[in-house]
Amino acid sequence: MSSDALWQLGPETLVALAAVVVYVAGAFAAPRAAWSWVGLAGLGAAALCLASTTPQAAEPLRIDALALWLRWFALASGALLILTSWRPAADADGAELLGSLLLIIAGMMLVAAAGDLVLLFLGLELISIPTYIVLFVGRRTSEGREAAVKYFYLSILASAILLFGLSFLYGAAGTTSIEGIHQRLLDGGGSLGGFAGLALVFIFAGLSYKIAAVPFHFYAPDVYQGTTNDGAALLSVAPKAAGFLALVRLVAVAAEGVSSDAWRIALALAVLTMTTGNLLALWQDNLRRLLAYSSIAHAGYMLIGLAVYLGGNTLAGAAFDGVAALLFYLLIYALATVGTFAALNYLGETGQPVDHVDQLAGLAWSEEPRSRATAWLIAAFMFSLTGIPPLAGFWGKLALFAGALGVRGTEPAMRSWFVGLAVLGIVNAAIAAAYYLRVVGAMFFRMPMGKPRTGGSRSVPFAAAVICALLVVAIGLIPTPWYEAADRATPAAAAREAPEMIADAR
Amino acid sequence: MESWIPLLLVLIPVLPLAGAALTAVLGRPVLAGRSHLPVVVGIAGSFLAAAGLVLAIHGSLPAGANLPGAGDSVNAGYERTVDLWNWAVIGGAYHQPAGPDAFVMRDFRIDVTLRADPLSAIMLAMVTFISLLVAVYSVGYMRGDRGYWRFFAYIGLFVFSMTMLVSVSNFLLLYVFWEAVGLCSYLLIGFWYERPAAAAAGKKAFLVNRIGDFGFALGVFLIWTAFGTLNFHDTLGADGRIVAGVLGEARLEGGSIGIGGGTATWICLLLLLGACGKSAQFPLHVWLPDAMEGPTPVSALIHAATMVTAGVYMLARCAPLLLATVDGQMAVALIGGFTALLGGLIALTQTDLKRILAYSTISQLGYMFLGLGTGTVLGATAGMFHLFTHAFFKALLFLGAGSVMHAMGGVVDIRRFGGLRRILPVTHATFLVGCLALSGFPLLSGFFSKDLILVAVHERAAESGSTGLYQWLYWSAALTALLTAFYTFRAFFSTFYGQKQIPHEAGGQAHEAPRSMLVPLVVLAVCAALVGGYFEVTHGFADYLQQTPSIAYLARQAPQPAATGGHREVMLTSAVIALAGIGLAAALYWPRRSAAADAARRAGQAVGFYQLSLRKFFIDEVYQVLLVWPGLAVARASDWIDQRIIDRLVNFVGRVPPAVGAAIRPVQNGLIPFYAVGMVFGLLVLLAAVLMGWGWLGT
Repeated sequence: MSSDALWQLGPETLVALAAVVVYVAGAFAAPRAAWSWVGLAGLGAAALCLASTTPQAAEPLRIDALALWLRWFALASGALLILTSWRPAADADGAELLGSLLLIIAGMMLVAAAGDLVLLFLGLELISIPTYIVLFVGRRTSEGREAAVKYFYLSILASAILLFGLSFLYGAAGTTSIEGIHQRLLDGGGSLGGFAGLALVFIFAGLSYKIAAVPFHFYAPDVYQGTTNDGAALLSVAPKAAGFLALVRLVAVAAEGVSSDAWRIALALAVLTMTTGNLLALWQDNLRRLLAYSSIAHAGYMLIGLAVYLGGNTLAGAAFDGVAALLFYLLIYALATVGTFAALNYLGETGQPVDHVDQLAGLAWSEEPRSRATAWLIAAFMFSLTGIPPLAGFWGKLALFAGALGVRGTEPAMRSWFVGLAVLGIVNAAIAAAYYLRVVGAMFFRMPMGKPRTGGSRSVPFAAAVICALLVVAIGLIPTPWYEAADRATPAAAAREAPEMIADAR
Repeated sequence: MESWIPLLLVLIPVLPLAGAALTAVLGRPVLAGRSHLPVVVGIAGSFLAAAGLVLAIHGSLPAGANLPGAGDSVNAGYERTVDLWNWAVIGGAYHQPAGPDAFVMRDFRIDVTLRADPLSAIMLAMVTFISLLVAVYSVGYMRGDRGYWRFFAYIGLFVFSMTMLVSVSNFLLLYVFWEAVGLCSYLLIGFWYERPAAAAAGKKAFLVNRIGDFGFALGVFLIWTAFGTLNFHDTLGADGRIVAGVLGEARLEGGSIGIGGGTATWICLLLLLGACGKSAQFPLHVWLPDAMEGPTPVSALIHAATMVTAGVYMLARCAPLLLATVDGQMAVALIGGFTALLGGLIALTQTDLKRILAYSTISQLGYMFLGLGTGTVLGATAGMFHLFTHAFFKALLFLGAGSVMHAMGGVVDIRRFGGLRRILPVTHATFLVGCLALSGFPLLSGFFSKDLILVAVHERAAESGSTGLYQWLYWSAALTALLTAFYTFRAFFSTFYGQKQIPHEAGGQAHEAPRSMLVPLVVLAVCAALVGGYFEVTHGFADYLQQTPSIAYLARQAPQPAATGGHREVMLTSAVIALAGIGLAAALYWPRRSAAADAARRAGQAVGFYQLSLRKFFIDEVYQVLLVWPGLAVARASDWIDQRIIDRLVNFVGRVPPAVGAAIRPVQNGLIPFYAVGMVFGLLVLLAAVLMGWGWLGT
């Protein structure tokens, strides 16, 4: 790795340094709140560094607009996750949890910046390994341990599958550089031959675990339920964002156009994932389990965007690029989901988290003003996840579904497949409304069960929920700049605007 | 001054919204009895900004551009748009063939753009001014009410919605705020929701308005398909070419809005349907009288001065669309003239003070529609002028009625009180001014504006080639003027003259209202007396309004006919009519309902007219028979079908997703080996699909 590349990795290094400080110093002093400030400071320093570094090509990195988008996303979502898991001072495990969280953020940023198969894989593992710690330490009950073990074993299986898929790419191109593989496969210098489809299947399967796509999702409901609200918030954002970015890098960039199987796999996974996620969510009364299935369903929606991009050849004037819609949706989904977990964290008390829909009953009529406000916040998140205008979720779904409708297709019957995909997406959104509205209904139309919650000591998670809600409303009212930011980050935009930068990278 | 316009345009809606938000958040826990402060201050700031906007636009008008029709200079009017942000873009949504191989493609855009032009500025100034006075009045009127803070939060929200309604520059956003003011109206009509009548009235208003809004929505769709844009103003397309807005300069300059025939007529009729709902025109007027269940300041603000005029505003804004179709114009004029007469006839016999005023509002709105329906620049100006003066005197009358109710312990039946002029001296004096203005007493505001409408209709009737319709409408409007003067003073004399009579609800301590209620009354009375004359003399209103692009277009396309000299004649006629109506009312109801009045009523009863008017021409009953009963019958039948067939079907369909979910739930059994097998199985299926082709999966 050249020194240029090391400089370019400044933000990641700073975040990892903050993690080290927290880990080491945390052995001597436990208070969680203080370490949270250190963590935020680390993220702030990384943000400053990211803003002041001029992106420049340096193997084995790939600092393009997509990488920058995800690095900013990682920093912002990392800050929100720290706020969400803010605890009162007396918490002995604070430092371990926070350090792991920081490492996961560094991992996300590394995945974003990776221009090489090895570095990409390393980044993904830098997310997975601290996650095991978070799951294990976060909740020391038998349920929590079971969750950690499940995640651990199945994650290893998925990593193995992914590595196997990557080995095909290396074998065909003779290089681990993503751009190199892309060029070789385009020039015909290397060939996957009949193995192209196989490579794609293994890559999709391995990464489907990270994004929790069916049938690689099995762990999600059990693990979400078994861990804390903070842990669930983390799981619903970090692996998913990194997994989608890796999918875009590997399938849409490195293996671009090698096989017409790509869009078919993405489309099949999208159909299966959103439908299964929504149908199973209908049955859930446990909030984290419900949100686990919800996050599975949303991965399905985002796969629509990937399928649209891989399908290529859109109608003239079609407004929405598949990858742009995916990134836009990812942001909106993450805000609403993290916001919900933050709100739940605010409501719960140490050792007694809120984890059942019934526990929210009558929240909107609670005596405590902030609990009443929390009911409105959660309602906003649920409406956004359902996709009701004028909240952000509406525009996210519009971009994905309209993108699918805009595909003309290169093969016969392809257009009708994508039209069917959009229709199925809309039907799914309607089914999803049933369980999101059930949560809203419980808060507004049911009598409270048990004692009213106080939750007064956790004002920071409340603030996190407020920030998320404000953003959900703001994106709903002014969606264009956010979509355009995502649009500038797509591979399509990179091909339009800066061919010379990619040439330099080689 | 012009550089201030963007700031002012933003401040006008934002200040009341901020006030409403503050009151909503802090009202119950902190502000309590001071909940009016944020809203009143917000509206006051908004009014100052609106006044500034009127002046700023006035200062920016091209010099020497006075009467557009008079000179031969081509006057396009003045507009200034401020783009706030772009709410949505959907590329290539509009796709129309424009030749054998060519096609027109446009983006679907929702631009959040505020516009400043004389029409908007006048509406903004009027709305914020009346709102301010009504808000101040409400401080006294609503004092002690349990929902004090809720009331002011709603009022602030309403002022925000209404100012946005008149300043947006896009049909879709117009629709959004059209619904928003409807929502505020619903909330405020049903403000005392514990009272069944109030809750029912709110519901009725909401449902009747749905019919109109449905028409409006269809009209917006049709505008999109016909024009490929929903913006009023011109915008720059993605390809750098100008996309001509529906009412933009690029389109109007050409001398034609580019569509005609059936489409233009349909757009016109659908927009008219929308306007009829909001502005309570026949046959959708039935909600307005019931809306009087709301607090009286609300009746004054929303159901007399501002919201109900939204339909008139929309038609004035769309005047160029109206001009494209003679059928559409005649429909507007006919609906307006007929509603004016109908409202006047019903108001004759009502005994509820607020309902008399409500029917009067319906009738006066009919006048405005009639003015716009002439399709001439004079008619449009007159309609807007009447809207402007009506806002002052009708708000005044409602607030006066509120003051009477305040003193009478909530009683509104004019048969149950009388001779109040000594108990309520200020209310009496201001109410008199309002009544004179409404009846068209010479030299008060209502006289000039109503007169101008009559002149416009008269001229249109005199125009060669026009049908006899306008002649009929002229006579009908003149008759309505007589009715107006009569029913207004019937109510006035019954309330303030004759034998002193106070209902027991007043509790024996009927007294004049507090100062916060009297000051708005006096201010409004001064305005009601003077604004008409001021603008008649200076010509300021007409000259200013005609700088609006839509109205300027009318002036260019349909130049004002040379003065026929009919003006003076019409003015004389209407003065005589007004005096005759007042005199008749005085003869019958002053000092107290006289023997002559009873004789008149008996005569009316003999021919059945009295009943007809008292029961509002049985329109509610007609609704009952034509719509509600069949509706209920259909509902019962549907209910049966629904319960027995559909519900079971739906329940079945509704059970399918959970059932499928339940069927696949056992897979989620919590065992790691099983999950691993599941993942590998999924992998194998995908592999099989790739290796053996997707055919067996159906692709």
